[in-house]
Amino acid sequence: MGNFAKSDTNPLEYVKIIPDSKSHIFIKDDGICIEECENKPCTYYCPTRVFYWEDDSIKILYKRCIECGACPFGCPYDNIAWENPRGGYGVVY
Amino acid sequence: MGNDRYDVVVVGAGPAGSSAALLMANNNLSVAMLERGPYPGSKNMSGGTIASMPFQEILPEYWNIDGIPLERKIVSDELWMLDNDSAVKMGFSGKKFGYAPYNKFSILRYKFDKWYADQAVAAGAKLFNNCLAIDLVYHKTGLLSKKVDGVVLEGGDIIHADLVVLAEGSSAALTQKIGLRQRLNPADMTLYVKEVLELPSGKIEERFSLEGDEGAVIGMVGYPTSPAIGKGGIWTNKDSLSIVVGAYLNQIVNKGLNPLQLMERFKSHPMIKKLIEGAKPIKYLAHTIPKGGFKKIPTLVDDGVIVVGDAAEMISGRRGIDLAMITGKFAAEAAAQACALDDYSRETLSSYVKRIKGSFFYENMRKGKNVEEYFNTYQDSDFLITKAMNDLAFKYFKQDLENNKIRLRKMIEELKNMQPLQKTGKDLLYGLQNWEVW
Ligand SMILES: Cc1cc2nc3c(=O)[nH]c(=O)nc-3n(C[C@H](O)[C@H](O)[C@H](O)COP(=O)(O)OP(=O)(O)OC[C@H]3O[C@@H](n4cnc5c(N)ncnc54)[C@H](O)[C@@H]3O)c2cc1C
Ligand code: SF4
Ligand code: SF4
Repeated sequence: MGNFAKSDTNPLEYVKIIPDSKSHIFIKDDGICIEECENKPCTYYCPTRVFYWEDDSIKILYKRCIECGACPFGCPYDNIAWENPRGGYGVVY
Repeated sequence: MGNDRYDVVVVGAGPAGSSAALLMANNNLSVAMLERGPYPGSKNMSGGTIASMPFQEILPEYWNIDGIPLERKIVSDELWMLDNDSAVKMGFSGKKFGYAPYNKFSILRYKFDKWYADQAVAAGAKLFNNCLAIDLVYHKTGLLSKKVDGVVLEGGDIIHADLVVLAEGSSAALTQKIGLRQRLNPADMTLYVKEVLELPSGKIEERFSLEGDEGAVIGMVGYPTSPAIGKGGIWTNKDSLSIVVGAYLNQIVNKGLNPLQLMERFKSHPMIKKLIEGAKPIKYLAHTIPKGGFKKIPTLVDDGVIVVGDAAEMISGRRGIDLAMITGKFAAEAAAQACALDDYSRETLSSYVKRIKGSFFYENMRKGKNVEEYFNTYQDSDFLITKAMNDLAFKYFKQDLENNKIRLRKMIEELKNMQPLQKTGKDLLYGLQNWEVW
């Protein structure tokens, strides 16, 4: 399936998120994304498209994260460090 | 709050944590319950329904308790095998399920979990919202031995306790950090997305053939997640529908699927479209389910610590909330015993493990092991079997000009062309066991 930026629906319209001032998601080693990871699955398995590829590295829109818990496990190189946002921050269903 | 001491600190105010806190407080233990969200349920999602019988073990006749946010009593349960523009439907409707003690209720977690945690608070537990636990603290019990003695909060404050109950749900950061749970593979979990769609109650009753506060659940396999093994589903709430779709994470990754696109595609299926027509999306949610099953059950107790609910991988079939509740109850029973003996060692707490091993769901999980393995090996089986069933049903119901013998022969020929009949039989057998599973 293609890139869902092409889809005109934006599910974040009806999600409430209280964003922290700093990210709770990090790439451990940018080199791995460039050299080893051909398909860059983080750019499609994330339900809110937090990750995108630009200028030879993965960029992280952590303020879109709805804390599904998938990204540290979905990355085939265990290259995503994901922590719970600080108490009170993040998604509020 | 810093440096307080309690008998028990419970990490996480989902169904597992609140059950443990409620029953422990009833037993006069001092309990602190920590929730990282602004209120319990603010981070949580299910399909979903809550099973009546297990819930009654904790709160008998819970449906009579003031303010309980139950959506609908489920009287109709269906499984649809979906193809592109058709469906083979199986199901059961039982009016009996509309009367106490009921079978199950649909719920929305952002309402339910809050209410349930309040029951624990009413029983005497102290709830701290906006409160993330980031580590455990230990105290030395011997030259080489140590015992968990509380939790560290972000910012460094410590809450001391004789017992820590880890009820932190699917991602289970602390359980992993202290080495009780191994890292899961993407094949050991499913990822689901959900939308809540607002629809007037009258329309819901009309579309799903319901009366009053009766409710329906439809589980779906095949089309919603093909080519991956996964499921879709629709739950009726009071004045909204929950629509859910998702699959094994490794298959989402390997097959290049995007969960939101799965949702879009699912919603545009002609038979789904009709059910949700005019309904307005008001929420979008996503969550993983730990599906490592029997072989990935973590170490359940250690000195001063018990793991419950999703953190302990207690998922069997479609059921998770009730297992979370029952493991919370078992933890409370083990805690009462430990408190009486004033001994929170692993040996004493292992009565918790014994209770789990004697439970109905442990046996189910043990049996379910083969099903998971099968679906990891034959990742196209769901798709093949739903396709075959739809093709067969089409031929079976179609009024044509051939005699029955020829029709039957053609149907069998077609089945054989798809794959060996024996394999189709096996797919069906394992499918029936798996489709119960969310
Ligand atoms: C799509 C989907 C459909 C489902 N459908 C059903 C269904 O129909 N029926 C059913 O029985 N089950 C269903 N389940 C499973 C069910 O949701 C889970 O089994 C259940 O929520 C587990 O409860 P829990 O209390 O263990 O964890 P959770 O409900 O996940 O609660 C964990 C809590 O801990 C908090 N927390 C986590 N870490 C920390 C920390 N470090 N500090 C403080 N707080 C923390 C979280 O914010 C959360 O509130 C479904 C699951 C999904 C994803
Ligand atoms: S999936 Fe992992 S390794 Fe691949 S691009 Fe994303 S973060 Fe990098
Ligand atoms: S936790 Fe889920 S929503 Fe958040 S970044 Fe990871 S995959 Fe995306």
